[in-house]
Amino acid sequence: MLEMKNITKTFPGVKALDNVNLNVRPGTVHALMGENGAGKSTLMKCLFGIYEPDGGEIFLEGKKAEIHSARQAMDKGIAMVHQELHPIRFRSVMENVYLGRFPGHFGVVDHKAMYEKTKALFEDLELDVDPLALAGEQSAAILQMMEIARAVDMKAKIIILDEPTSSLSDREVDHLFKIINRLRAQGVAFVYISHKMKEILEISDEITVMRDGTYVGTWPVTDSNGEKLTIDFIIKQMVGREMTNQFPVREGKPSEEVVLKVENVCSTARKSFQNVSFELHRQEILGIGGLVGAQRTEFVEALFGLRGIASGTITLNGKTYVNKSPGFAKSRGLALLTEERRATGIFGILPILENTVIAHQKHYAHFGVLNDSRRRADADTECKKLNVKTPSLNTLIQNLSGGNQQKVLIARWLLTNSDILILDEPTRGIDVGAKYEIYNIMLEQIAQGKSIIMISSEMPELMGMSDRIMVMCEGRVTGFLNKGEYTQEKIMALATQFAGRKDTSAA
Amino acid sequence: MEEVIFLRKVFVTALILVLAFASCSFADGVKIGSCIYRFSDAFMLRFRNAMSSESTKEGAELVLADSQNDQATQDSQVDEFIANGVNVLIINPVDRMKSQSIIDKAKSADIPVVFINREPPASILSTYSKAYYVGAKAEESGIEAGEIIAAYFKSHPEADKNKDGKLQFVMLRGENGHQDMILRSRYSVEAISKAGIPPVEIAGAIANWDKLQAMNIMNAFIMSIGPENIEAVIANNDEMALGAVEALKANDYNKGSAEMYIPVVGVDANASALDAMDRGEMLGTVLNDADGQGAAAVKLAVMLAKGQDVSKEVTDGKYIWIPYQKIARGEKK
Amino acid sequence: MAEKSRSKRLMTIGGLIFLALGIILYFAKEPMGLNRKIYDLPIFLIIIGVCSALKGYMSKDKTEEEAALAGKTFAEFLTNNAILLAMLVLVVVICILQPRFMQIRVALDILTQSSTKLIMALGICFTLLIAGTDLSAGRMVGLAAVISASMMQTATYANRFFPDLPQVAVWMPIIIAIIACMVFGALNGFLVAKYDMHPFIATLAVQVIIYGACSLYFDMPPNNSQPIGGIRPDFAQLGQMRLFSGIYRGFPGISILIPIAVVICVIIWFILNKTVFGKNVYAIGGNREAAVVAGINVFRNIMGIFILASCLYGIAGVLEAARTAGATNNYGNGYELDAIAACVVGGVSLNGGIGKVGGIIMGVLIFTIIQYGLQFINVSPMWQQVIKGVIIAVAVAIDLTKYRRK
Repeated sequence: MLEMKNITKTFPGVKALDNVNLNVRPGTVHALMGENGAGKSTLMKCLFGIYEPDGGEIFLEGKKAEIHSARQAMDKGIAMVHQELHPIRFRSVMENVYLGRFPGHFGVVDHKAMYEKTKALFEDLELDVDPLALAGEQSAAILQMMEIARAVDMKAKIIILDEPTSSLSDREVDHLFKIINRLRAQGVAFVYISHKMKEILEISDEITVMRDGTYVGTWPVTDSNGEKLTIDFIIKQMVGREMTNQFPVREGKPSEEVVLKVENVCSTARKSFQNVSFELHRQEILGIGGLVGAQRTEFVEALFGLRGIASGTITLNGKTYVNKSPGFAKSRGLALLTEERRATGIFGILPILENTVIAHQKHYAHFGVLNDSRRRADADTECKKLNVKTPSLNTLIQNLSGGNQQKVLIARWLLTNSDILILDEPTRGIDVGAKYEIYNIMLEQIAQGKSIIMISSEMPELMGMSDRIMVMCEGRVTGFLNKGEYTQEKIMALATQFAGRKDTSAA
Repeated sequence: MEEVIFLRKVFVTALILVLAFASCSFADGVKIGSCIYRFSDAFMLRFRNAMSSESTKEGAELVLADSQNDQATQDSQVDEFIANGVNVLIINPVDRMKSQSIIDKAKSADIPVVFINREPPASILSTYSKAYYVGAKAEESGIEAGEIIAAYFKSHPEADKNKDGKLQFVMLRGENGHQDMILRSRYSVEAISKAGIPPVEIAGAIANWDKLQAMNIMNAFIMSIGPENIEAVIANNDEMALGAVEALKANDYNKGSAEMYIPVVGVDANASALDAMDRGEMLGTVLNDADGQGAAAVKLAVMLAKGQDVSKEVTDGKYIWIPYQKIARGEKK
Repeated sequence: MAEKSRSKRLMTIGGLIFLALGIILYFAKEPMGLNRKIYDLPIFLIIIGVCSALKGYMSKDKTEEEAALAGKTFAEFLTNNAILLAMLVLVVVICILQPRFMQIRVALDILTQSSTKLIMALGICFTLLIAGTDLSAGRMVGLAAVISASMMQTATYANRFFPDLPQVAVWMPIIIAIIACMVFGALNGFLVAKYDMHPFIATLAVQVIIYGACSLYFDMPPNNSQPIGGIRPDFAQLGQMRLFSGIYRGFPGISILIPIAVVICVIIWFILNKTVFGKNVYAIGGNREAAVVAGINVFRNIMGIFILASCLYGIAGVLEAARTAGATNNYGNGYELDAIAACVVGGVSLNGGIGKVGGIIMGVLIFTIIQYGLQFINVSPMWQQVIKGVIIAVAVAIDLTKYRRK
């Protein structure tokens, strides 16, 4: 069906792809795996005509294919569903499905035909969405289905799914898999990019692993003896080494000293967090669990001065703390690693150096004039300590992989020598190796007497790293769990204590 | 929300008060409504100052509006004036070719209208018996500027630097398409050739009446042509002439040495130009008598408003011509 | 390795050839009667030759990685420098049409005319760096020019702005003019930072306010909107003084504006690259949200940006008044668009966060040279406008393809 042979692509200073192969057979789901920065996205962009490969060939159904633009790729039956979807928010779902190929004559759009066709498509995919609803009002899952519907309608023979389940609930994942299975039966091939091992073993037929821009190998998920690949095997191929433990060993215990005391803190927004109270001890990792919409991010942003607090008291190191501004929070020893790395973390067009020192700038200044060599030296030590993989400090941060970007952001806050690190989804979208490194950094900081508040939506991470877990639901704290008593079920039970449901169960 | 409503109330009340006050002040005497094509124009500024002082003298009420160089704006301003009940209009048209609409408006309201500074074509002016024009004959300013140069040439034979008997000059023009720019440029050259000296324009540019632009352009000309090859600079107004003078001074010309001198003439006779002439940096200028024109326009408007006979004041039944005055170095009054 | 040392050698050798040619022509032009044909061409050749040879000789050996980055194809080189090359072609054409263009005094004149524009462009670049703009810049130039000129008239001038004003020290009106601009700059900053107004609309509003205020001031009796003249020579010297004039026969001297612009360039370069404020400007332009999270006081920095920018416009306005020995309220009208265009041609991104002082200097010089050159060979002003517009469009198009390159 699709064969990519010896694809090579070089960026200034980086060899992104080095003789990579990919062979996808019709009617299969082919998982493409590798750590972030392994070159999966680059390979797909080459296939999709967004990048021009420097070397190698692409064959479609045995014929050599020239693809120079996304349009050409689509014409050849290749469709891609991106990880982050950008629908035209103020137009209807059906217009989004038929964007660029509206049915009609002589430039006049036939809205009725479009409606009917969209409806038929959605019924086929068991999707209960009004084609006339605004795209901007749909959930991520529906938008994704909308993209798949678009691909199906275009009679795509190969559909690339880039991290399709990163923002889906379990039920939505089941639905997605059902549709993938149906289309697979019809002969459609999928390239499935994901970090989630379990899903991959469940859905895919074959796995290709890449590492550092090179091709590692391709294996069937179930071999001829009917034996399935193991997660450990895949991880080993991806990182090139044995991963014995997912989490480093935590030594020592949190001290009794309370560094941060939050009492009855309420948001200025009515629908956000209410009456949040907790204590954070020195050398403690406090995990905050909950579902999407639990207002965890909103709460930590308010703590850092990015959002308003209406009432409640906060005591920081024994002194009353007011969330005036991020600058003030910084000066009082708080640090916040935000959830949206790209939107509120990195300065993409600036070098790593600037990205590292930006929060600590004043430290290097005399009457506003910077000492360049000290900045550089500090950034260099910090980035080396965190094992940031980069040719030089002058490289633009946007050219780094997600994991390395995250490490730079952590380096930024470590430089400010903050007492309390607030980490919002610190390992989201980061590969296994970098995750482990970040866990190590967290433990190092704890050992140095710091405290950490960590929001995480990944249960294993939450349970593996936290000394204590606070669970939130709809802006309320629904409970605390101590180390040793965590189970996924307990956390989920607390995370789903919706106000309405609780009332009915009590009655 | 309540604040907004309160503010709105205050605003509306204030507006009513202002309107009431405005209409009260119009209650008696002659009310003149006047549109100026653009307030920031230096010449029109002097013009309207003359109008203001004259109307105070006459005891008339003068309301000025800035048409911001936009004919549509001016048209609606005229509508407003008529709605407010002025007795007479003094209009400085933005586009003299489009003054028909103003005449029509005045005609339907039966209000006399006096045009100033930019002359509507006779074909338009003749469509309304109560339409008049007060101004200077633009060609006259050109002629007089040319005559200043020609006179200088005749009395200073050394001014013909290449001794070819011809006059090689640089022309700095005003805004493209402006009536004054066209007529002044044309008639100044004509006056020189009428005086018996063949004129040759070796370089010319549009500097939009602007000192800075004129200075930069003149600088480029000095470099590209060479100051030794320029025998005179003719500018459509004084600001541009002064720009040329600054450029010459920067190249050590017009600083007192008789050898390093290029005669420069302008039009307007503004204070800086007279000052530069005192210092011998500029040869001459032509006074476009804004004061005389402004006073005459108001006088005529007041007479028209009072219904007096104006046939003795005007020529050809429609025009009052205020002459230009020549001011050359050493002849400054 | 061979590739880069070759380019280095090429540069050195080329430079030396230029140098030699220049020296030969310098001594040959008198006896060969070329004086009126090539003017100061030999001196230009010598300068270019020395610079090129020095650059080739001094440039460091590049590391492997940088060499890979620099390993551009010829076509890429052409697109990257298209505007520069177009300008060089134009210069050659002008030199052939009008050899007088090859004079030292022409080059100095171009630099002089660039100076005030450059000072303005450096101010406006700050607002562009935060993905904003400043439409009030030109009117601020006018304001500063009118205020400073109004207090700097000779005692004997017939039409004084303040008839009873004593002859004050030169610095006083300058400071007053610049402070007046900074007040409006602060208003710009306040509107943008406090109300999150788009700079386009905030500065548009302030532009109108400034022009109105300036016109009111200009219209105050007894001046009544007369162009301000009779400027005191000590003030005019600020814009007209020439250094080293007559150092050799016919040398016109270096306008004081050039060293002033150079000093300001150095200061702005320093601010952008070596101070917390400069780094914050890039950060806010690069990602405003991230800057907030990093604890940067965005309000204070945006205020600072607009106030600093207006200070530069004020300086430019005072210098324009001094250079032309006069002022009207129409000074500076439309300058902001020229300055923005020059910045963009010089590689400042309208999306914010990208821009260098060196690029802005190039942009302003390219603009001035083209404008001056076209005037020099007496191209009609209508054509000049067309060419200017084409340059802006092409420059931005090239710039954007650079960032979008595959």
